[in-house]
Amino acid sequence: MPGKTRRGLSSPLKQLDRDYLALGLEGSANKLGAGVIKHSPDGSVTVMSNIRHTYITPPGEGFQPRDTAQHHRDWIIKVIQDAMKQAGIEMSALDCICYTKGPGMGAPLQSVAFVARTLSLLYKKPLVGVNHCVGHIEMGREITGAQNPIVLYVSGGNTQVIAYSQQRYRIFGETLDIAVGNCLDRFARVINLSNDPSPGYNIEQEAKKGKRLLSLPYTTKGMDVSLSGILTSTEAYTFDKNYRPIDTGEEGTFTPADLCFSLQETVFAMLVEITERAMAHIGSKEVLIVGGVGCNERLQEMMGIMAKERGGQVFATDERFCIDNGIMIAQAGLLSYRMGFQTALSKSTCTQRFRTDEVAVTWRA
Amino acid sequence: MTPTVALLESSTLIRQGAEAKVYKSYLYDGQISGSDARGEPILLKYRFNKQYRHPTLNSTLTRQRIAQETRSLMKCLRSGVHVPGLRMVDAQEGVIGIEWIEGESVRVLLGAEDEETEGTGDTSDLPDLEQLEHDPLAKFNTTSSHVMRLIGTEIAKMHAADVIHGDLTTSNMMLRQRSDEGTEVLIDFGLSYVSALAEDKAVDLYVLERAFASTHPDSEPLFQTVLDAYSKINSKEWKAVGRKLDEVRLRGRKRSMVG
Repeated sequence: MPGKTRRGLSSPLKQLDRDYLALGLEGSANKLGAGVIKHSPDGSVTVMSNIRHTYITPPGEGFQPRDTAQHHRDWIIKVIQDAMKQAGIEMSALDCICYTKGPGMGAPLQSVAFVARTLSLLYKKPLVGVNHCVGHIEMGREITGAQNPIVLYVSGGNTQVIAYSQQRYRIFGETLDIAVGNCLDRFARVINLSNDPSPGYNIEQEAKKGKRLLSLPYTTKGMDVSLSGILTSTEAYTFDKNYRPIDTGEEGTFTPADLCFSLQETVFAMLVEITERAMAHIGSKEVLIVGGVGCNERLQEMMGIMAKERGGQVFATDERFCIDNGIMIAQAGLLSYRMGFQTALSKSTCTQRFRTDEVAVTWRA
Repeated sequence: MTPTVALLESSTLIRQGAEAKVYKSYLYDGQISGSDARGEPILLKYRFNKQYRHPTLNSTLTRQRIAQETRSLMKCLRSGVHVPGLRMVDAQEGVIGIEWIEGESVRVLLGAEDEETEGTGDTSDLPDLEQLEHDPLAKFNTTSSHVMRLIGTEIAKMHAADVIHGDLTTSNMMLRQRSDEGTEVLIDFGLSYVSALAEDKAVDLYVLERAFASTHPDSEPLFQTVLDAYSKINSKEWKAVGRKLDEVRLRGRKRSMVG
């Protein structure tokens, strides 16, 4: 059964006879990342370097695949060099090169996969294709030490409630339309918030100033959520006669800050609710939040309260590991490499559609 | 302290579900009636305040959901669907009181683990082998295919009344313990709503089919018996619902993921 604690079952990972090193390359969206990870014989995991460069668009604009790919092509050599330099190792010391196989935007994925292939041929290192979502989960588990948590994976492209069972990360609930990060980012564009460092971060800061809760649709269906209608409704409020782009203090009016506040409160309540339902269903007491939206402190706070009400606890990481990065690809890649998995050059494609539950998680009991 | 809160405090907590705490309680005690009898037990479902939610949002949602659940139960009761009778509703406090059903969940009757023991990984409190070999259905003097027919009949009656359950699983069905033949009772209408669309009814059935496949891999063929009984009772709508069900099966719930 899902979530059943498997006491007594030891990890299928063999003990190492020396240090293993992996380079991870990530570029499935507007973040380009490279990181080096080390697995030691004593079972410890060391982050040797974790470098990221983000493609930031002007306010009111999203990132287009073509321009994002161009950004990645322009920066990837520098990012990899920095990562290797910070780790203080040569390419020859690596055991494998891991890259994001999917899911993500096609053109940016291809640009990074191309570099991974080239490096693999140049330095004769095996390639490991990694599922982006599994990367998030494995890095979250490693950093927080959560053993067998329910995972809420929330980012610009994904919204899923996941639990591990029998060599798979199974999806219990997910969004029926757009992802939560997409919903927040697009609203940031509507009210012309800056994309630096990220639209979600600026919504979070704006929401702290909000006071009034405006009524928005609340759409949970079992363990699934629907978010597109909420975005439309929030947008519609910006055409309301009581909407004031700048606070005037008039009675009965509302500001962008109030809208950000209402949007966050409603959307996060939905996410916490479906996570709670999954916890009750499976009987788990641990929650792990991963993905870019996961570094939102209000979401972490709400999840923490819910977990406490159930006698459990929440695990979350900060922006270094929540937001897309290279190190998580290295971590998940090295785990599967240690189980004997490699991606042949002829198979080293990438794909925009790659579900979390398609990956055989051989490294867990 | 409102009477509802006082009632909650005198009740026994049974478990904490996803949305509510469930209690066993008695609406009146011996002092009032002057005898030892406390009357029939009732089940209290308390949608307690979710501290993580904004208070305004929380009270709106609680009231909405209590109303929805009550409405579905009432509609079912009027149409003769076997559901727990309503005993009390307090939308302000978020409490709904329903008839206590003495019996066993279909999930357990079909030989799956009880939800309560599942997930703890603790095997010490499992029933001993002798009990396991004993067919739980025998206690109810019935067979699994008969239970399937009862399930199909109840769902058909519910759908004919345009109530969609929203969470049909074998844990949400109980076989009532009575001296005569067993009756099958549908419980937990927390996710239910009212709809006349064939699509919604088909999805309801599909959810149950999936639940069968995951919880009772061996009894999967029995699901056909459920559908046969359903088509007999709700013959008027079966053509449309059945066709939709085929569509829903092909479509699945899970779309391929982008980004």
